[in-house]
Amino acid sequence: MNDFNPMPPELVETPEEFAGQFADRDQTLQAYREMLRIRRFEESAARAYTRGKISGFLHLYIGQEAIAVATAQALEEGDRVVSAYRTHGFALALGSDPNACMSELYGRKDGLVGGIGGSMHFFDRDKGLWGGYAIVGNHIPVATGHAFASKYKGDGRVTVCFMGDGAVGIGPVHEGMTLAGLWKLPIVFVVENNRYSMGTPLERTLPVEDITQRAAGYGMKRDRFRVTSVHETHRRLKAAVDHARKENQPTLIEMITYRFRGHSMSDPAKYRQKDEVNAWRQQDPLERTGRALQQVHNMSEEDLEALDDEIVAEMRAAAEFADASPEPDPEARFANIIV
Amino acid sequence: MAIIVELPRLTDTMEEGVIAQWHIAEGDKVKRGQVIADIETDKATMEFESFDAGYVLKLVASEGDTLGLGAPIAVLGKKDEDVGDLLTALANRAAGGAEAEAQEPAKEDAATSTESAVPVEAEATPAAPAEAPAAQTLDNGRIPASPLARRLAREAGLELSQIEGSGPHGRIIKADVDRAVAEGVKPKSADTPKVATASSEVDEHGRPYATHEDTTVKLSQMRKTIVKRMGQSKREAPHIYLTMPIRMDEAAAARKQLNAALAEQGVKVSFNDFIIKAAAKALRVHPRVNAHYTPDGIIEYGNAHVGMAVALDDGLVVPVVRYADQKTLKAIASETRSLGTRARDRKLAPAEMSGSTFTVTNLGMFGIEEFMAVVNPGEGGILAVGAIKDEVVVEDGQMVIRKMMRVTLCSDHRVFDGADNAKFLVTLKGLLEQPMGLFV
Amino acid sequence: MPNLQIRQAIRDAMAEEMARDENVFLLGEEVGHYNGAYKASEGLLERFGAKRVIDTPIVETGFAGVGIGAAMCGLRPIVEFMTFNFSAVAFDQILNNASKIRHMTNGQFGVPIVFRGPNAAAHMLGSTHSQAFDPFYAHIPGLKVVAVATPYDAKGLLKSAIRDDNPVVFLESELMYSVRGEVPEEEYVIPIGKADIKRPGKDVTVLTWGQGVPTALEAAEMATRHDIDAEVIDLRTLRPLDNECILESVKKTNRCALIYHGWPYGGVGAELIARIQELAFDHLDAPVLRECYEDVPMPYAENLEHLVIPSAERGLAAILKVCYKA
Repeated sequence: MNDFNPMPPELVETPEEFAGQFADRDQTLQAYREMLRIRRFEESAARAYTRGKISGFLHLYIGQEAIAVATAQALEEGDRVVSAYRTHGFALALGSDPNACMSELYGRKDGLVGGIGGSMHFFDRDKGLWGGYAIVGNHIPVATGHAFASKYKGDGRVTVCFMGDGAVGIGPVHEGMTLAGLWKLPIVFVVENNRYSMGTPLERTLPVEDITQRAAGYGMKRDRFRVTSVHETHRRLKAAVDHARKENQPTLIEMITYRFRGHSMSDPAKYRQKDEVNAWRQQDPLERTGRALQQVHNMSEEDLEALDDEIVAEMRAAAEFADASPEPDPEARFANIIV
Repeated sequence: MAIIVELPRLTDTMEEGVIAQWHIAEGDKVKRGQVIADIETDKATMEFESFDAGYVLKLVASEGDTLGLGAPIAVLGKKDEDVGDLLTALANRAAGGAEAEAQEPAKEDAATSTESAVPVEAEATPAAPAEAPAAQTLDNGRIPASPLARRLAREAGLELSQIEGSGPHGRIIKADVDRAVAEGVKPKSADTPKVATASSEVDEHGRPYATHEDTTVKLSQMRKTIVKRMGQSKREAPHIYLTMPIRMDEAAAARKQLNAALAEQGVKVSFNDFIIKAAAKALRVHPRVNAHYTPDGIIEYGNAHVGMAVALDDGLVVPVVRYADQKTLKAIASETRSLGTRARDRKLAPAEMSGSTFTVTNLGMFGIEEFMAVVNPGEGGILAVGAIKDEVVVEDGQMVIRKMMRVTLCSDHRVFDGADNAKFLVTLKGLLEQPMGLFV
Repeated sequence: MPNLQIRQAIRDAMAEEMARDENVFLLGEEVGHYNGAYKASEGLLERFGAKRVIDTPIVETGFAGVGIGAAMCGLRPIVEFMTFNFSAVAFDQILNNASKIRHMTNGQFGVPIVFRGPNAAAHMLGSTHSQAFDPFYAHIPGLKVVAVATPYDAKGLLKSAIRDDNPVVFLESELMYSVRGEVPEEEYVIPIGKADIKRPGKDVTVLTWGQGVPTALEAAEMATRHDIDAEVIDLRTLRPLDNECILESVKKTNRCALIYHGWPYGGVGAELIARIQELAFDHLDAPVLRECYEDVPMPYAENLEHLVIPSAERGLAAILKVCYKA
């Protein structure tokens, strides 16, 4: 076992640097709103789960919202996001209807994929969300295939493929990245490193703490950073996306983040110490963005609460919508298997 | 309320029967008057029409079971009615008889035993052995047959038990059903080819003789009846036998003419038909011969109903030509042909086999010249008819060749005497030697 | 009519479809510069260029997945497995992605892809290189599975497979790439899902496919000496099965034997028998039997391999047995 520090590295930034990340008021408010929408959606889903409205696996994105929001900002029309089974945040950030997202969790007809996929298989093609995969790592070759198609067609689209730190050891990741690097495909691989492969900390899963060192073997560029704000995440991701679009060059990015909930709803996360979680919470991008709105842009706590109320109402409405949505038709189980 | 269907008495002499074939299955709905089973009686295999309506809840008897009259064979009732208790009671009843016998010595033992608990236990467990036979019956019912053969047999109305299987493990396959349909169903032959083994006895060259195992052939209902009735007749009736040679040239000529005339109608009159008619007429002339003995007196029959013995593979039956004296030869010919065919198919109704007052039996087709028969109980005589053959006879000092036939009237001496017997034969001889009398 | 080898028929099918639709491309190990490990793609690189005839490193999961991802974008990849034994390492891609994506995206995405290559035992390749994958793939809803045994069928069915909007597993045979047969010059396709009566007969139905076809035909010829007229049906498509053709024949002959290359346990043969007993029970005059690989991993030694693989003699024995002539 490696001796990796479970605590977040101390965030050293001057007040000016902090203010710099949130300089644009509208952008900051927009980022805050989008992150908050994801968080409130996830909380609404968690509540529905405890009421028995949602079953199966439910992996929440709480703590990692900035990544999804930054990604949505970094992409153009027609670009693709491919993710694993912690996908709700990407859907909402990309503009998927919360009613459809919640209905999918409820297993209802109005769900994003008609109640057929569930939490782990969110797909929303029109919004650029291309999955939704739940066999760890097996979407990396598929996302590579999307990038292959873009290069084959010359359509100028970029694919951004996300995976967790727990995925990087599995074979398909290696094979997909090998081909992406070999064929110089327009793709950005992003490892969302939330420090835990389900319940196992990365000091017990990674031989080398810096995952991006692997990029050398695939002939890719690399980047690695702490996710502290949408703004900074967007800036770094956008550079890789541009590089892919313009140069047909893939990049491997490791984004260091943290999930505040367990791996899934059924995970009590007893493998983490309270002070560890609290330390990470201190650096929660959502929290930081809210603070910036107050401190840098002089918004009042009431203003933020009013925004929160609005979003809570939106997500509660989504839950009510989902609850009222009909179950899929019995015939639906035979649909879309073979055409 | 469930109804127990009992083995019916289908002929006046029937004392036990065999379920030859079920036409219903458990779960079927049965209407009154519906044929539910074929039952082999002492005389024939007969259709059993249900007296009751309802759903078949249980077939208590299996095909092949020999049962006494009144034995429960099936249970009818309401759809899905629970008859578990009734069946248990039936099983206990069935087991009861055998058990009672089996327990007799046990009780004696118990009486000498100091352990008083023994008889109590014996009484407490009668249900256990009662269940065993039921399970056996179920297991025994399965006949190996391919699904296709089952379907074809069902469609052809054949029972699998009637078909010999040629497939692996005796499985009945399509070819077997096809054969059964084409050739008609024959009862499964009980005797398998006997395998010869070397005997310990040797011939003069020291070679062992081939030896075969004896086999026991189960008595059919018909055979049991023959055993009983022939035995009774021979034991009780003192038989006398008188043989008469009869010149059949004229009868042969008449038959030839008659058959030529009837050819277009498809009727063919046999010599036996001539004999039946002649015998019937002679019976009217000699009523003492048309009679039978009872301790209360000789009963002389008012009518001449002539029984005709028909040999089957495993026995014989005697269908009856009623009022044979009054029937034309053509009518008799049609009737005997129909009776003979249906007798061999075992399709005769009991009424067609009862009520004879006299019997004609003919073994001429085998070349038998003369023989003696056993009088059927209930009759006074049986006419045993031999073959017709050309013989040299002396007429008016000249040797001539005539078609000669010998008939033997075997009679019950209790009913009439030798002279009566002879007079009947003289009349019969006259009717056959100058057959014009048979046409009036 | 041109007389072609199966490998040439396959090559022609791919070439015609690539010429017809520029979204069609070929991907796999040694398909380009090497001209195909079994020369099934000979000349294609030269004709269509490296963009569309793509050599891959030995990464079955990688290139199978790339094919799937490309198909989701509207391309029509032909993924060649050098042998289907290697598809095992890409099994997850086929099982969890290719066959599922249309379903789990509620029809938002389709995967028009062909996975093709030789299947089942060749000659003395040992246990890991001699396996029949038919049952693995035929088991999966969302896939179509084709197995070909003649040049005519190979070309017509491969063209259909390439045009199909579903993922198609296309099983060939290393031993049979050189089998020759007439192939029309004019354009034709053979619909997926239709079996072909390779030899009409009336006494017994022999079901077969892929490498089993020549064995079954030989066994059927031998059966004529026993006065048995066998009907040999080449299933050609293993999923979806041509129930109609199979049942019509079985109902006619009342007997059925299966001769195929593959293990007995839970395979396509078992599925066929299940269907026949369910749908034609009352037409059967004998149990349905199968002659296939023995239930063992394939040994290397030649004599042992011969014992494991069904021969025409073993096929004949099965035919005789279902005809009750054994």
